[in-house]
Amino acid sequence: MKTRVLGLVAFLTVATTTVIGLLVVPADLNQGDAQRIMYPHVASAWLAYLSFGVTAVAGIGWLWKRDLRMDSVALAGAEIGVMFTFFAIWGGMMWGRPIWGVFWQWEDPRLTTTALLLALYVGYLLLRRLTDDPERRATRAAIVGVVAAVDIPIVHFSVEWWRGLHQTATIASPDRVLDPAAPGIFVLTLLGTVGAFTLTWGYLMIRRYQLAQLSLAREETARLDLLMSVRSAEVAR
Amino acid sequence: MSAPIIEARIALAIARKDAVAELRGRHATVSTLFFAAIVLLLFGFALGPDSARLADAAPGLLWLAVVFAGVLAVNRLHLLETDDGALEQLALYPVPRRAIYAGKALGGVAVMLVLGLVVLGAVGVLFAVDIGSAWAPLLATVVLGAIGIGAVGTFYAAVTVRLRAREVMLPLLMLPVLAPLLLGAVKATAAALAGDPFGELGAWLQLLAAFDVIMIVAGAATYGYLLEDG
Amino acid sequence: MTDAGFVIAAYGVIIGGLGLYVVTLWRRIRAARKGR
Repeated sequence: MKTRVLGLVAFLTVATTTVIGLLVVPADLNQGDAQRIMYPHVASAWLAYLSFGVTAVAGIGWLWKRDLRMDSVALAGAEIGVMFTFFAIWGGMMWGRPIWGVFWQWEDPRLTTTALLLALYVGYLLLRRLTDDPERRATRAAIVGVVAAVDIPIVHFSVEWWRGLHQTATIASPDRVLDPAAPGIFVLTLLGTVGAFTLTWGYLMIRRYQLAQLSLAREETARLDLLMSVRSAEVAR
Repeated sequence: MSAPIIEARIALAIARKDAVAELRGRHATVSTLFFAAIVLLLFGFALGPDSARLADAAPGLLWLAVVFAGVLAVNRLHLLETDDGALEQLALYPVPRRAIYAGKALGGVAVMLVLGLVVLGAVGVLFAVDIGSAWAPLLATVVLGAIGIGAVGTFYAAVTVRLRAREVMLPLLMLPVLAPLLLGAVKATAAALAGDPFGELGAWLQLLAAFDVIMIVAGAATYGYLLEDG
Repeated sequence: MTDAGFVIAAYGVIIGGLGLYVVTLWRRIRAARKGR
């Protein structure tokens, strides 16, 4: 019940901030309308990283406590994280085309790091799919998830260096929307969008967790059924 | 005998066992080297014949060849592939898991080192880059790169050992994680070959070293879980 | 494509994608509860 309320509030706030971001807030002086993309883009990026943090921590939780519910949380984080990562990349590309003139810019450390994040977690999800035993799956996933999480700061760091040492002309930066000196209305819209998306994230995490738990129960039932039928076949002989 | 010494001995024993099996004629290292050579050849066809462009691209081509051949080489590190099942036996005893990891990783690193050095030489010849003048930093780069790929490869070999579709999952999991290593190694190689005009060589080597340390620690810490029920 | 086009494409996919995901989640949960 509380989850439904959360869902409703999330929906309303997303709708509101979307309208504000698209129509109410003025366009940026330099970047024009394209700058509006930054609101959902930044929000998505934040939630992508948050989700993967949850996956990594939940994985450690499984290794430590051997509670499969932790693994369900990890799975939820990974699937939702992949979605938000894709959104972040998509937003970055849609922003990049009008601003940079190209969809992709290798010098942008955030874009390239996020692309790698996507690769790491798609691998995580595929790995999960290929293991049927819930506990083995949880262990493998947890370990891969932790190593992936550890890799991300290294990637970010190295790409920053990569970019920094080859600073040619100043490229238009997505950072402008994060600039504290930006007009108040921009900052408010950004915070509002981030907040709305985060509420949505919370709702999605809860639902995905529930789904994961349901699936686990079904797997367990299926396995018991199999065992029972094997046993009754033996007994009948 | 103190614990670290016991662990080191175990690691060396495992590494030696793998090395002996390798030398006894599994010929996998030789095939991997030939694969790397073929990759370099194809790079030449794909990006050539402009030798200036190839020389420019040489650091990248070097490490791409090493990484791709490395994925093949790592396949051999799969845990269960010991002829007499000695490793599985070992896993049943309370042997510290990181010692087993260290032993397997040593083997992986050794193979990667050989691979790296051979490819370095081949690149020097094929793409007309002077490796002699910068041999010291180039050697350092190859060593650090080999350690990183070997450590990461050993880890993911264990993750995928009993997995369906393991031939594709191993590179799929390994390669994104290796991205920073690839970046650092290519940059270090390029800087070394150019005589380090911006003084960035040290920074890149440090990045490689940091990557190696972090990955070794992560691998050693989690290997036990993988052996138990991975 | 004008700037506005890219803005629409961005918001469309992101907000639309969120909606799509929510709906598929509901469906999957319902299917799981029915013991399909």
